[in-house]
Amino acid sequence: MSIWLNHHLQAIKLVLSRMRANLLSTFMICLVVGVAMCLPSLFYLAVDNLSKLTDHMKSETEISLFLKLDATTDTIAEVDAVLAKNTAIHQYHLVTKDDAWQQLQAKSRDNQNISTAIGQLGKNPLPDAFFIQAKSADPETLETLRNTLQSIPGVEQAILNADWAKRLSTLLSIGKKLIFFITLLLAIVLLVIIGNTVRMQILTQKDEIEVSYLIGATNSFIRMPFLYAGILYGLFGGVLSVLMVAGIIQTFNYSVMEISRLYGSDFSLAILNANLYFTIICLAVAIGWVGSYLAVTRAISAIKIN
Amino acid sequence: MIQFDQVSKRYPGSDQILKNVSFNIGAGEFVYVTGHSGAGKSTLLKLIAATELPTSGTVLIAHQNVSKLKPSAIPFLRRRFGLIFQDHKLLYDRNCFENVILPLRINGVSEQEAAKRVRAALDKVGLLNKEKVMPITLSGGEQQRLAIARAVVSRPSILLADEPTGNLDASYAADIMAIFQAFNQVGVTVIMSTHDALGMSADQSRVLHLDHGQLTENPFMQKPSNLNPAPAETFSS
Repeated sequence: MSIWLNHHLQAIKLVLSRMRANLLSTFMICLVVGVAMCLPSLFYLAVDNLSKLTDHMKSETEISLFLKLDATTDTIAEVDAVLAKNTAIHQYHLVTKDDAWQQLQAKSRDNQNISTAIGQLGKNPLPDAFFIQAKSADPETLETLRNTLQSIPGVEQAILNADWAKRLSTLLSIGKKLIFFITLLLAIVLLVIIGNTVRMQILTQKDEIEVSYLIGATNSFIRMPFLYAGILYGLFGGVLSVLMVAGIIQTFNYSVMEISRLYGSDFSLAILNANLYFTIICLAVAIGWVGSYLAVTRAISAIKIN
Repeated sequence: MIQFDQVSKRYPGSDQILKNVSFNIGAGEFVYVTGHSGAGKSTLLKLIAATELPTSGTVLIAHQNVSKLKPSAIPFLRRRFGLIFQDHKLLYDRNCFENVILPLRINGVSEQEAAKRVRAALDKVGLLNKEKVMPITLSGGEQQRLAIARAVVSRPSILLADEPTGNLDASYAADIMAIFQAFNQVGVTVIMSTHDALGMSADQSRVLHLDHGQLTENPFMQKPSNLNPAPAETFSS
């Protein structure tokens, strides 16, 4: 047990002292790992935050129910009664054609062109309308509800205002797939880079490895410092990547918060994203380990004497 | 302790290096392996150290058949030996201390204990004051002594030396021989190959003589004809 522990401690010490001796090149490799991990992370953050935003918007989607232009107060009352019975509806309110007309005139007062255009209309072109919020934000449920409402007598048109949100979420799911492949490709690149770095180190330690074999070193003893080198490259690179991501989020947040404020929201990007950071570091360490393992196994079988 | 039974060795695409060699070495012996260059001395030592496997026949080390050992067991067999090479095989990127500590690192000895044993080993070969020195700055004889320190630091029961004095002048060679004798006296089995007979001063030494891969004689207390106890002055300036 203590022999096993000694081997590991010695390997880590050896690797750290080698890294200290080649500080610049070690930093370069960690930087490569960091940047490579940073790219998909940022992409992920963008997609993740956008999809959070659309979820947020989806809950605000409503169905606009426009009645026929010739609808009487009786028709309005009948539709009102049907809506009141529907259990899928969270709440709804009526905007009569006169209310809407007044609102339109009030809103367009500042704009000379529109108010003249409205003035020329002479008679009110707007229908009576119900604005309905459903209990569910699920696109399919909303679609069914819209169809039901469309079939109520006296209804001219039921419009679901969620189409753009649906399109956006489809786009986002494409984005998520893209992230997966970008991460995969960058992981392969990192495997090759770390593998190659470790292979070069093995070549510079070739004499030591040969002598070590002659005096009774086991494969795992030879392999261990190189595996730790790979793991440490991953670890330092992952930490660097986390710092970069946090820094980038911070700079983005100034503008994002500015925009949110303009839209009357307090939306901002979360700097402390423990899950993401943990994933970045673990992934980087795993890639470092696998890359060095492949390199060292290949190199050892080439060096070995018998 | 070391038993060869009808051992032959042939490298792919070459003549047979060793032909039906049989011998037995007991614990605590001092054995010379002699013969002309290319007679198979190095191959014989490599077979003992399990860095080569026999083409036919059996090599038994401490009652273990080397050919039948699992590859994973061979490193542990090798740790019984202290190996000394003609070209030293020192690591020139680190100082003397770091060179000697390598076998102890492999054995997983704790750093404090290792440091003590390294100094003891350096002391035995007379290099205690050079522990921080880089090996490239040492003379040939000192480098060979450093290699011996590395070979003995893990306290092996068998020392295998492949022409340890081959590149050294007589006075250095005598130093090295004295060190081997001293280890032999405390019970370490010493097997040493040599193409000359410079150091064979001890009358009790046993000689395995190889001639074109065959063990032609196995005499006790018989010295090769080219024995030439050259005085040190002849070589030193």
